[in-house]
Amino acid sequence: MYTWIWRHLPGPTAVRTVEALLLFLIVVALLFFVVFPWLEPYLPFDRVTQG
Amino acid sequence: MSLDQEAAPTRPKHTGGSVARTMLRGIGQILITLGVVVLLFVVYEVYVTDLFGQRKQAAATEAVDQVWASAEPATTDTVVVTNSDQLVTDPRQRTPNYETTLGDGFAKLYVPSFGADYVFTVVEGTDPDDLYIGPGHYDGTQLPGQQGNFAVAGHRVSKGSPFNDLGLLASCDAVVVETQDDWFVYRVLPMAEEVATWTSTPRAHCDGVGVQTGAYDGVFGREITLPTDYAQVLPIPHVDSNDIPADAQRMITLTTCHPQFSDAQRMIIHGVLVRSYSKSAGFLPPELAEG
Repeated sequence: MYTWIWRHLPGPTAVRTVEALLLFLIVVALLFFVVFPWLEPYLPFDRVTQG
Repeated sequence: MSLDQEAAPTRPKHTGGSVARTMLRGIGQILITLGVVVLLFVVYEVYVTDLFGQRKQAAATEAVDQVWASAEPATTDTVVVTNSDQLVTDPRQRTPNYETTLGDGFAKLYVPSFGADYVFTVVEGTDPDDLYIGPGHYDGTQLPGQQGNFAVAGHRVSKGSPFNDLGLLASCDAVVVETQDDWFVYRVLPMAEEVATWTSTPRAHCDGVGVQTGAYDGVFGREITLPTDYAQVLPIPHVDSNDIPADAQRMITLTTCHPQFSDAQRMIIHGVLVRSYSKSAGFLPPELAEG
């Protein structure tokens, strides 16, 4: 999977590294701002109320 | 994440072995990725939501400060308070003259034993969105200072973690609530293990705090209960009724999840009102300095 992504990134190695880092940050942002907030209510960590 | 640098310009032709190897590598990479996602979730839950929660809490505090500032009486006299007893009030004479709106702050909660900087703005409501802002008042339970039970829920881990340290509260520790016009000083009830020696052991700051009897029998400073135990936040804890008897005490109840990082149970803190003050410019209750 990562091999495939790496092969399809354009540019020389240095540019590809930056691109890969950028892709990683985009995925992390997506997780932090979209996926995790949506997922959280379904997980048994965080409920603090009675009833 | 693993960045595979094996990509050679000329790739060998696929053989049976190399296909198997590619698939194995793909599975391995997926497993590693899932592991990283789980770790990122921990980072999100423990650190990132704290940052978001702190920003929401700051906004709620600013809003309630504005409401209080605009509600101040028109007189500009500054009364110099030399003795805090001058401002002691009878809670029976104090009726809340403010409105609460779901999701908006209406009170501030101080726990001096957690440090002088421990203050959280309490919002109305206990929905996830309310609790992200700060400790949330159980809609339908009583307001600060009233007969019955002022019940507040708060996150133990994440979202600003207001109630992370509830396990460190000791009996007679002060929990001070500030509203628009009043200061209410509650103190934590005796713990279950202290009941036997309560009267025989001298304790500091314990005036007005005693072992609970009658309808309140079995109500302790700290209790660990099941999440379904809603009676903990009712006017008389453990009594499954919304009625407030004429001789009802003025309680505070704090709830959070237990154990830490789990919500299998709830930690409950019960306290009782021992003192109240009317607010005055420049005056802070002496209990806040107990530390």
